[in-house]
Amino acid sequence: MAQAVDVQGKLRVGPSPHIRSKRTGSWVMDQVIIAMIPPLLAATFFFGWWALGMVAISTATAVGAEYFYQKLTYKPITIGDHSAALTGMLVGLSLPITAPIWMIVFGSVFAVIIVKQLNGGIGRNYFNPAVAARVVIKALFTPWLENWVLPAGLFGSGFRGVDAVAAATPLSFIGDGMRSVPEEVPGFLDLFMGFNLGGNIGETSKLAILIGMLYLIFRRVINPKLPILCITTVFVVMGLWSSFDFTFQMTHMLSGTLFFAATYMITDYSSGALTPQGKTVFAVGVGVLTAFFRITLDHPGGVGYSILIMNALAPFIDSKLMPKIYGHDKRPQTSFNRQGSRS
Amino acid sequence: MHFSFMGKQGGAHPDDKKSRTDKKPVTNASVPKIMVFPVSMHIGAPAKPIVEVGDKVKAGQIIAEEGGFVSAHVYSSVSGEVIAIEKRPTIGGEAESIIVKNDYEYTKAEPITEPGRSHEMTKDEILATVRKAGIVGMGGATFPTAVKLSPPPGMTIDTLIINGAECEPYSTSDHRAMLEHPDELIAGINLTRTLFPQLQRIYIGIEENKPDAIEALEKASAGYDDIFVRKLKSMYPQGSEKNLIKNLTGREVEPGGLPAGVKCVVANNSTIRSCYRACEFGEPLIERIVSVSGTPVKEPKNLLVKIGTPMDSLIDDCGGFSDVPGKVLGGGPMMGKTVSDLGVPIIKGTTAITVLTPDEADQGDRKDCIMCAECIHVCPVSLQPILISEAFERGNIEKAKELGAMDCIECGNCSFICPSKIPLLENIRSAKAAIKAKEGK
Repeated sequence: MAQAVDVQGKLRVGPSPHIRSKRTGSWVMDQVIIAMIPPLLAATFFFGWWALGMVAISTATAVGAEYFYQKLTYKPITIGDHSAALTGMLVGLSLPITAPIWMIVFGSVFAVIIVKQLNGGIGRNYFNPAVAARVVIKALFTPWLENWVLPAGLFGSGFRGVDAVAAATPLSFIGDGMRSVPEEVPGFLDLFMGFNLGGNIGETSKLAILIGMLYLIFRRVINPKLPILCITTVFVVMGLWSSFDFTFQMTHMLSGTLFFAATYMITDYSSGALTPQGKTVFAVGVGVLTAFFRITLDHPGGVGYSILIMNALAPFIDSKLMPKIYGHDKRPQTSFNRQGSRS
Repeated sequence: MHFSFMGKQGGAHPDDKKSRTDKKPVTNASVPKIMVFPVSMHIGAPAKPIVEVGDKVKAGQIIAEEGGFVSAHVYSSVSGEVIAIEKRPTIGGEAESIIVKNDYEYTKAEPITEPGRSHEMTKDEILATVRKAGIVGMGGATFPTAVKLSPPPGMTIDTLIINGAECEPYSTSDHRAMLEHPDELIAGINLTRTLFPQLQRIYIGIEENKPDAIEALEKASAGYDDIFVRKLKSMYPQGSEKNLIKNLTGREVEPGGLPAGVKCVVANNSTIRSCYRACEFGEPLIERIVSVSGTPVKEPKNLLVKIGTPMDSLIDDCGGFSDVPGKVLGGGPMMGKTVSDLGVPIIKGTTAITVLTPDEADQGDRKDCIMCAECIHVCPVSLQPILISEAFERGNIEKAKELGAMDCIECGNCSFICPSKIPLLENIRSAKAAIKAKEGK
């Protein structure tokens, strides 16, 4: 019994469970950051080295903004959870190569300070910071945004893509009441790969996004039903609208920010729905609204509006779709919102 | 963590760590000089000592009598002399205990019933024998089995569920018991079925990580068309009573209700086997299988242990510690209880001793919730643990109750899975205590 005597008095006591999963919040954020590498590489390949510069600026700004905000308000510094870096990358990837530097900086600061920190910080914000920033940029700064350019390759386009050729994005051909696809629209392969496609730098290569999406599913960081339901819903609604014109449906599915948003935006924990059924409604809701805005509006940005609307609805959806507890006939008859600033 | 596509999964997948012991046959533990018998090894009223210091006792002799209807007798597992009756540390905290000095003679007491006639026992005889043997739920719950097997009048039972899930990581005592003694379990089932005339089917639920036990029981039950061995997904807490009932029959026990309310009785496999041994051989419950495992244990083992054996003796049987232990648990890492003193004895419900290194037992640094919803995903009773936890931390006990705090089965999945290391179960437990206090229960 000599062995046992050695440990007497040194054993820890405490309530169960006694083990914890290895996963941490910062590991989760890191996985999403890793999953954004394929779109970042694709952006660089298609739009040139400045794409890297943009994302570097947006990321550094986001991290710096969080750091200084917390420093100035005497709050614990949380940049170590990597969520600010993640938001910054998203902001950078959701702007066009022609975006001026001040706009990138504005986007990251707006996302991290106004949308995230002023709403209580991580896990508390109602709106997806990157999406909100992107929509506000579009609302305020459209004149500086609208010159979409065709990708000119890694070295073909210079700083901010100034040498590139102006172009329209596919959505400008198939939105606003259209029910079929005109000939000017790129084919499926170009849409999927991102060849000869204008748009925000992170969104053009669906292949790259798909790789990121599969990585996140494989790592079990995102719930696969969110991107799958969202994208499928757009496909189905566009089918109903176009009397199931397959080309029209496919073109919509592969155009614009849908893939990017379905993978990296609607899967955001904080601004999405919490309950299992709420997640379903949330994803389908984004899909339906996106299709609706694409059909009715004559300008791009429908995905962003859709996400913000569903963000705003998420707490309500969750309160109505609380899971039915084992042994009970009804869902809990209560509501509890844990978002918003900590009291 | 796995995602089901549309719904929720209601379970977690902690690494099961069973390979340390699941292939090791049960061997006899050594029996130390000093044996400790707490009078409260069960849920319910403590038993009342009926021996005095200085008394000679035999192995299998009753030393404390049940203290009420929901209670159980306590037997000495060795022969020797009562040297003290005093408070001793036990797995559940300090408790009155009878200390017996082993004389190593193993003088046996008379069997509690005439051996060899279990097959002709009546319902009342079986229940009386189970009660007399001091049998309680051996899966850890320690609820007196005779009470469990006598549902309130007017309630019919059509399904008997034998719990062989053993979903706790590390634990392999049930696995070995089912594998090595399948016939005794089936005999116990056939004895138990006498108690429920309306019985239509018997399920033996076993997690799929025990294929050899599944095979052994399929073989042993081959002659019975109402005994079904059911392979369950290896997912914690597959062995919780409520979840077993749901998964095997589709029925849900009402809040605060008994399984009998949905015509089910659930019993642990080792418990049913003990019932058989009590009726057939007249053996009171004085020994059980305990798996001793964990990284710091030099040579993990499955041991046949005399109840009352202090833990340190079993650790010695396993070669002692090869590494510094951080936590020693009675039970598994998800629901087991920490002990601060290795002198605590094995009791009727101790399935396992699990030893964790300080690293393995590290609870992590608490961070802010990121709303990943993992706790909601893994909750087996579909609670929203983070909301209950937060309501509690904001002092809103009423809200915690509305969110279903009282329905929590305390499996620990939420705290286990939380990437922000929020003590969710601790908060929910506190909320439950606060609700009970408020309602004056």
